[in-house]
Amino acid sequence: MNLNSSIFKIKLLLFVLIIFSKPVSGQSVDQIFKAAGTPATPKVEIHWNRYYDFDGVTAISQKLAEAHPSLATLESIGESYEGREIWLLTITNFENKPHHEKPGFWIDANIHANEIQGTEISLYTAWYLLESYGQNDFITNLLDEKVFYIAPTINPDGREDYIYNPNTGSSPRSGTIPLDDSGDGIAANDPYDDLNNDGHITQMRRRNPLGQFRECPEDPRRMVRVGPGEQGEFELLGQEGIDRNHDGRVNSDGVGRYDPNRDWGWNWQPDHVQRGAYHYPFALPENRAVRDFVIAHPNIAGAQTYHNMGGMILRGPGIREDEQKYTFMDRNVYDALGELGDKLLPGYRYLILFQDLYSVYGGQIDWFHFGRGIYTFTNELFTRYMYFYEHYEDREEARKAPYLFDRYLLFEDAFVPWEEYDHPQFGKIEIGGFKKNFGRLHPGFLLETDAHRNMAFTLFHAYHTPQLDIHDVQVKELGRGQKEITAVIANSRIIPTHSGIDLRYNIERPNYISIEGGEVLAAMRVHNPDLNIVEEQKKNPSVIEVENIPGNGHVTVRWIVDGGRNYTIKVDSAKGGVVRKSF
Amino acid sequence: MQKFYVRAVFILLTAIFPLLSLSGQEGYTDHKNLSARLSSLEKEYPSLVNVRSLAQTDGGKDIWLLSIGSGDLENRPAVAVVGGISGEYPVGTELALLFAEEILANSRGEEVKKLLSETSFYVFPDMNPDARAQFFAPLRYERTGNAYPQNSVEREPRLSRDPYTDLNGDNMITLMRVEDPSGEWITHPDDERIMIRASFEKGETGKYKLFSEGVDEELYDLFNLHREGMVDFNRNFTFQYPEFSPGAGHHAVSETESRAAADFLFNAKNVFAVVGFGPADNLTAPLSYNERAASGRMVEGILQKDARVNSMVSNMYNNLVTAGVSSANSGSNGDFFQWAYFHYGRFSFSTPGWWVPKTDGGSSNPEVNFLRWAESEGLENVFVPWQEFEYPEFPERKTEVGGIAPFVMKNPPYEYVLSSAGEHYRFLIELAKMRPAIDIVNIRTENLGRDLNRITVDIFNEGVFPTVTELGQRIRWVQKTVINFDPDDGQELVSGKRVEVLDQIEGKGKIECSWLVKGRGSVNIRAGAESTGFKKIEINL
Repeated sequence: MNLNSSIFKIKLLLFVLIIFSKPVSGQSVDQIFKAAGTPATPKVEIHWNRYYDFDGVTAISQKLAEAHPSLATLESIGESYEGREIWLLTITNFENKPHHEKPGFWIDANIHANEIQGTEISLYTAWYLLESYGQNDFITNLLDEKVFYIAPTINPDGREDYIYNPNTGSSPRSGTIPLDDSGDGIAANDPYDDLNNDGHITQMRRRNPLGQFRECPEDPRRMVRVGPGEQGEFELLGQEGIDRNHDGRVNSDGVGRYDPNRDWGWNWQPDHVQRGAYHYPFALPENRAVRDFVIAHPNIAGAQTYHNMGGMILRGPGIREDEQKYTFMDRNVYDALGELGDKLLPGYRYLILFQDLYSVYGGQIDWFHFGRGIYTFTNELFTRYMYFYEHYEDREEARKAPYLFDRYLLFEDAFVPWEEYDHPQFGKIEIGGFKKNFGRLHPGFLLETDAHRNMAFTLFHAYHTPQLDIHDVQVKELGRGQKEITAVIANSRIIPTHSGIDLRYNIERPNYISIEGGEVLAAMRVHNPDLNIVEEQKKNPSVIEVENIPGNGHVTVRWIVDGGRNYTIKVDSAKGGVVRKSF
Repeated sequence: MQKFYVRAVFILLTAIFPLLSLSGQEGYTDHKNLSARLSSLEKEYPSLVNVRSLAQTDGGKDIWLLSIGSGDLENRPAVAVVGGISGEYPVGTELALLFAEEILANSRGEEVKKLLSETSFYVFPDMNPDARAQFFAPLRYERTGNAYPQNSVEREPRLSRDPYTDLNGDNMITLMRVEDPSGEWITHPDDERIMIRASFEKGETGKYKLFSEGVDEELYDLFNLHREGMVDFNRNFTFQYPEFSPGAGHHAVSETESRAAADFLFNAKNVFAVVGFGPADNLTAPLSYNERAASGRMVEGILQKDARVNSMVSNMYNNLVTAGVSSANSGSNGDFFQWAYFHYGRFSFSTPGWWVPKTDGGSSNPEVNFLRWAESEGLENVFVPWQEFEYPEFPERKTEVGGIAPFVMKNPPYEYVLSSAGEHYRFLIELAKMRPAIDIVNIRTENLGRDLNRITVDIFNEGVFPTVTELGQRIRWVQKTVINFDPDDGQELVSGKRVEVLDQIEGKGKIECSWLVKGRGSVNIRAGAESTGFKKIEINL
């Protein structure tokens, strides 16, 4: 008995010690002074100055869901081509209301294999929301009112390929289905060759007095073109690699190539019209998983997807002919949000895809906007502006900047020094160049900053998804037990319950406004209460169908009800959520 | 009271004379019988045909595929034969099925035996079985939409109802005309059974409103808004896909049926031509080349060389098949026929398979013409005489039910199907014989001194069809002719390519290739593609 008791006490002591030493690593809680706007002692500690592979993304997602069970769930919405899970975090206060009765906001990233930092930004967003709930009023209200659906990577195969296989900063864009890119009938028979085994595909150069390049005197790592009459030193041979399939081109046929962002079901065009398209819309399993989820969650009212690079906040359309389909109301909503984005993200510009970037058929934001009526932005993350907070008008200055940045701020960590190599086809050459994690990806020390700013943009977008309120209920006795009940339903945010496209194509059902508690004799829309402009809804009066509740607007409905004493009005809006009022 | 008696008498009559409610579907093959016939084909010709199910529809039916041929089916030219493209044309399924049965029945004869050793056939008898099932259902009407998914019906039970009511108990849906001076319809001057629109220019005034029999407008609207079901296979493809159109689905290739066809075909690199039995027709009259439509990146009209091939095939078709009064139909938005050429990049042919034959004193109105022909042939049950009915929606107005029976204008009695099947069998055989086929001919070796040799060959397409379509040259899913030149280990390729990809080689056309090789040994040359077959030669130097 005694022995058990002391063993028990020791166990209890150990248990207590372990529990209290777990959450804080490095410093203990009382050594920390909170910096404004950042959770100082989060339940889940994550470094935001580095990138994570698929297992890392999985682990972080699991830890977040485990640490915040009343606010987050993790599920897989499908499998990639190679069988990896497409993770989806649902983040909201699960305890005040069913999540499908709240307006939803979708975030995804990394559709292009090499454009990985959106994943970290999505995870940062999830982490920040969860760790700030209960500490910050705005975030607390946001998660009480809205639901976030965050898919940190929708191309996990591509992500792993980019990280673990030799690549440039711009490759691969694709997923990993092997396709024949060279036309010779065999798939993937000329992939990248990492000749110097450094994990990066850099550049090849060869000493040649007939060449058009020389080393830049200020920074010999950089190759510059010789001027007219000048003696050259080198020729640039292109990417590090070998022509394996004898088609006269180096690295002509790797895994893929196709563009997962040409696979979406709006204005889809085949590869010979839109390069990179696969067989037909949603033929790719990853995109199909997203499509199935979005269709099954009609409460999604706003969305954000992440790419790199260029410092852009993009709205659609992807092709010129579709611009006229953007209604006046829709453009106003995008402009209001986009202009806020300009401010929150210095160096980024709010732009239109087809006009300011290039035309895209079958792109994701077009399907979200036109196919589902969801207000959607694509952010192209990272811009040269972030090197020195300077815009470059001069081309030469723009070209110098990465070398200066790497030298003085990264201590040349981002560059593979030129070194000799004996190439089987080109002879004596030199290999060198910027590593794949420089140029399009944020350097470590800039990642958390940009993650926070992009997150802030998405949180305000989410905030402005419709917020419905049964504002003002008037009951007028008509005699003989009949009452006239008038209700004003207000939407206090910018985004309407139905976008212009939604109204035009009847994408989503109307808002249903219903009353219970008495026998409904008649129902009507009150277009103008003062001038008594009223329109009856003859069919099914107990449920009034309202095609839209505008942003910063309201609608007024009225019933003639017989009998009853206690009533409940319910507003059931796909994107505006469900609200009830009893009286 | 009187209404009750009228209905009672009618019901009694229908019970006594079941023929009154039959509309000529005898002989046609419902899904169960189709599956059984395919299964016995496989049992009877195990070395020549393989039957498999590509997918199961939401209605629980199989999308069948027959792969027919002897030997290696995949590395030689193939023809795809497709039926069930549109639920309005069940005749297409019969023609595809009869073709498969006929070619296998003749497989011991010299002609077919040789053909099946050189060409493969992929037969898809019915691409939209849930739509076609309405042809055999207790309530018959022309249906193009597939089935609803289970969870849709659970959420919205109204979806499981027919959008029409059989008012006169004849087990089919015809028309309903309502006397109404604000209506647009009048009877045809030559045949008052047929309804036509009043012509404002001719000074005619409408007398009737016209509806489908017992149509439930609210339910109809519900169907049109509900995009996860009642989707038309023939509106669900990517070429000029009609976004948000009724029957088009959520987006292109959204349906199980469409994906089954597309997935198989994209994987089958050896298909060089697709023949579909459906509403489009580029065989009685070929598609014409239009420079404007054929130019630019987004091609909307057939390219010039491909149009010439279409012309040639169309001439062959018209010599073999008795056409009737055809209505030119070069395709519709989102259809399978145009997808097969413009996006899949193969030669695409389509025909409804049967037309109402021309009659003496034929009318320009197809329905009047049809009735004349039907009468001259003594066909019964093709027209339901107009009969008055009380219909609650129009209590004050005279309402009548009647009209041409569904399906009959596009799908003839079975004996006509049989004769059409015979003609189309011959057409498909002749088409398959025209398949492209690569050969290596005129092999010349010249010694240029010591052990340096020049090898020259002609890559020859001995078929009538070109190796690929002109449009297919731009399409990455269309495999062009590849020449692989493999010198021996001790040899050196001094000049010439190891791998070369050739553009289209026209029928009976050839391309000359040459190489310079140094050293002794055996050189291997292989040329071709799955859709033309491969040819290998070895040259000893």
